[in-house]
Amino acid sequence: MKTYSRELTVGVALLLLLAALAVFAPNFFDGQPLVSRLASQMPALVLAVGVALVIMTRQIDISIGSQFGMCAVIAGTAAASGMSMPMAMLCALLAGALMGVVNGWLVAGLGLPSIVVTLATLVTWQEVLRLWQKGRLLALPDGVQWFGTSQGTGQALVIGAAFLFLVLMAWAMKHLSIGRRIYATGSDTEAARLAGLAPKATTFGVFVLMGILAGVAAVLNLVQSPQIQPNSGEGLELKAIAAAVVGGVAITGGRGTLWGVLLGLMLLVNVNPALTHFHQPPYWEKAIQGLVILLAVAADGIRHKKQKRLK
Amino acid sequence: MKKSGFFNHLLEKNEIILFWVIAMELVLFQFLGRNFLTSGNVSNIFRHSAEIGLLALVMTPVILTGGIDLSVGSLMGLCAVVFGILVKVFGIDPLSAAMLTILTGAMGGGVNAALVAGLKMPPLIVTLGTFSLFRGLAEALTRGSESYSGFSEGFLALGNSDLAGIPAQVWIVVVVGMMIWLIVHRTTYGRSLRAIGYGEEGALYAGLPVRRNLSIAYIMAGAVAGLAAVILVSRLGEARANAGMGYELLAITAVVLGGVSIFGGSGHVTGTVLGWIALAILNNGLTRISDYEIFGEKISSVARELSGLLTGLLLIAALALTICMKTLAARRVAKQT
Amino acid sequence: MKRFTLSIALVLFALVSCKKTEESGKLTVGFLLKSKGNQYFVTCEKGAQAAAKELDIDLRVDGPIQADPAKQNEIVENWITDGVDVMVVACENKDSISTALRKAKQAGIKVVTYDADAQPDARMYFANQATAQGIGEKLIDSAAELTGAEGEFAIITGTLTSANLNEWIDAIKARQLEKYPNMKFVGIRPCDDQKDKAQQEATNLLSANPDLKAIVAVCSPGVPGAAEAVKQAGKKGAVKVVGLGLPSENRAYVKEGVTQAVILWSPEDLGYLAVHAGVALAKDELVEKDAKTFTAGKLGELQVVGDSIILGKPIAFDKDNIDDYDF
Repeated sequence: MKTYSRELTVGVALLLLLAALAVFAPNFFDGQPLVSRLASQMPALVLAVGVALVIMTRQIDISIGSQFGMCAVIAGTAAASGMSMPMAMLCALLAGALMGVVNGWLVAGLGLPSIVVTLATLVTWQEVLRLWQKGRLLALPDGVQWFGTSQGTGQALVIGAAFLFLVLMAWAMKHLSIGRRIYATGSDTEAARLAGLAPKATTFGVFVLMGILAGVAAVLNLVQSPQIQPNSGEGLELKAIAAAVVGGVAITGGRGTLWGVLLGLMLLVNVNPALTHFHQPPYWEKAIQGLVILLAVAADGIRHKKQKRLK
Repeated sequence: MKKSGFFNHLLEKNEIILFWVIAMELVLFQFLGRNFLTSGNVSNIFRHSAEIGLLALVMTPVILTGGIDLSVGSLMGLCAVVFGILVKVFGIDPLSAAMLTILTGAMGGGVNAALVAGLKMPPLIVTLGTFSLFRGLAEALTRGSESYSGFSEGFLALGNSDLAGIPAQVWIVVVVGMMIWLIVHRTTYGRSLRAIGYGEEGALYAGLPVRRNLSIAYIMAGAVAGLAAVILVSRLGEARANAGMGYELLAITAVVLGGVSIFGGSGHVTGTVLGWIALAILNNGLTRISDYEIFGEKISSVARELSGLLTGLLLIAALALTICMKTLAARRVAKQT
Repeated sequence: MKRFTLSIALVLFALVSCKKTEESGKLTVGFLLKSKGNQYFVTCEKGAQAAAKELDIDLRVDGPIQADPAKQNEIVENWITDGVDVMVVACENKDSISTALRKAKQAGIKVVTYDADAQPDARMYFANQATAQGIGEKLIDSAAELTGAEGEFAIITGTLTSANLNEWIDAIKARQLEKYPNMKFVGIRPCDDQKDKAQQEATNLLSANPDLKAIVAVCSPGVPGAAEAVKQAGKKGAVKVVGLGLPSENRAYVKEGVTQAVILWSPEDLGYLAVHAGVALAKDELVEKDAKTFTAGKLGELQVVGDSIILGKPIAFDKDNIDDYDF
């Protein structure tokens, strides 16, 4: 039970928030807006899961917002040029994988610090996108929104896909060797290497996976609207990283669960709708999100201290 | 045998590369651009990047300890707003208000210090939290939309006039730069920062006051962010909650480009200064090239995008080069023995 | 030595890969955008380029990547030392840009503002497509007309700190209090100039305020974002969407009847007019203060009121006329 204490705290905080909403603003739970809200957060969920895996290997990827934007525009351009939807989706995934390979090669291959590498790729992809698109809204052909089906089915597909992915990843982390390799690489790279777990390959693989997930997230976002904006990924990296951290993924590697990430994300992204539903001004959003992150961090710190004292 | 001292630092490999980069930039922009090396434009280069220079300088000790401070840009926003309120609402004179603003910055840094040094939490996450918190407080204080303007001529002169032919705020950067250089390279405190960066555990066992020294680095960063905010307000003549947005990444870029290891332990203030200058010139120089085209557009029209792109590539190239040289050197040593 | 050769090679490569444009002894005009990643300003620039071609001048276009007043000041100051003859400026932030524009005027540079004005003493003319007040009033008037001047309405803005948008919002609120007492303002939400965020904010506004009758979006990504939210909520027609935006970005929603009114002027004409005015000032064809009319190329004779050159009234795009506009 002890190992899940963070998930518990965040879960309780989220429940309290939802309970307050249920009492003071029951409209929050109206069916359609709830589903729309949930669906619109699914891309962020996929990204947060990806970045959680990166953080568990004791690396970081701050370029995911730019990767997301690139993948979205590439898929959008492909679809607009008359490619079928599956082909356009494949383009997004491929583009994401390629960008992941670049990060992975620089970090795992050359041994460069991931925060600097991904800072560099963050600005590089962002500027490439700006030179290429100049901020144009890209109109998508008809069959793209909701995968060409109705709104309800489309939203169900988006939410279903994201949750299916979450469940599969959570299962894989627990029961497949990949999970152990990720945790081991993050807790102690040298020990992982001596144990024959090839930490370099693991790190490389995680960055490539992150790129592919940026593509997946871009597709999940793409299908929710008839137009895409090239700057749609800006700021997503911070959202995803914050969700992972609040959800209990330790930046020092080797610890955290994907369910925690889901709870962390849900807590953070519901601050804004809660403000709207309580009819409070929007300028408190950032301050509250900052406080949530700091509280989560402080809770960790205090627990650590207590553990040390007990030892 | 190696001599120690200022000159020796300049001979560090990374700094030599940066000298090359700066020289290349100067030659390139002077030949391709218009009115690049004029006294007015050189003033502009430093005037407009003074705030980033300050942040980069004070980020250096933080990164030397193996830490990072993502909150300095947001803290600038908060400090700018505090300064505006002090002067325009409470009618305090700009000088005292500036002092109080710097104090506010130091307190903001204190929050980071308490969590990083006191609770031993990872600085990346702590400052990600304060990044959001400080900007949020700035917006909340101004209800998002209010701003403060109409400062006195004397105060605006700080950001807009020259002193002995050099922009007034650049003198401040020079003074702060020298102070930080002395602190980092000429005091036991500075040495302890690098010791902490190499290994906190070891520094602790060596009897260094790790917690206190770490705290000082973050509080210094906060105070200088406050100073940068005052300078920005005086340059623009307006205090608004969005001041300094994104500056933290630019400052970190300058520091890392300057050869300071993001893992902590090694790096020089001179490197940071060179990294900062290289970026400042790149930013300005590209906008001067209006006679040439790239992708069918005037370079000056896409200068901002290009300079971002080149910064990213430069960052990777500089890192990769250092790593390559290290491997080569290691191989050479291995051959000799 | 190797490194030296490499550097030389790089310099040479850079020299070769650039193409030189023809040498100019022409008038140089700096054209400043509020932000680059914005279709509206890309369209303004198109008009400016057309004017530049007509007038045979050297046009320098620049602007911050995202709306950023500090960066705008930096660009203006760089242009001063670069010795441009004319500056045509869209101001993100009245007070801070004026600090820099006054310096430009002192340096003998002709300064014209467009889209959003600076302080009057910091420029010579304002190419006026509509005043802040005019825009705000037009928006709230059409929202009132559509809702019968009663019920709740909410505003979606770009960023909370944008000085320019805040002026419009103040005008909207003032007009509503004065003329439409039965309308009720329920809140303002920022979309950070992201369409997806606007959609989320609008979804929240709709469920938090079930009696909402209209959403007014004052930034261009906000209009399609709000429309998509209304459409997904199945409240097409019941909640009116009004906003400032480009016809091309809103055509589908207007035709479907989700968005009722999109208001804008021709950004292309605005850029064209502003450059013409700047060049006329430099050639002394237009004098500061005294003009009554101004002839701007293909736009013909335009009225000058005080120190604003009036482009004409904003256009309201609806189902019937939206296909006539291609920007």
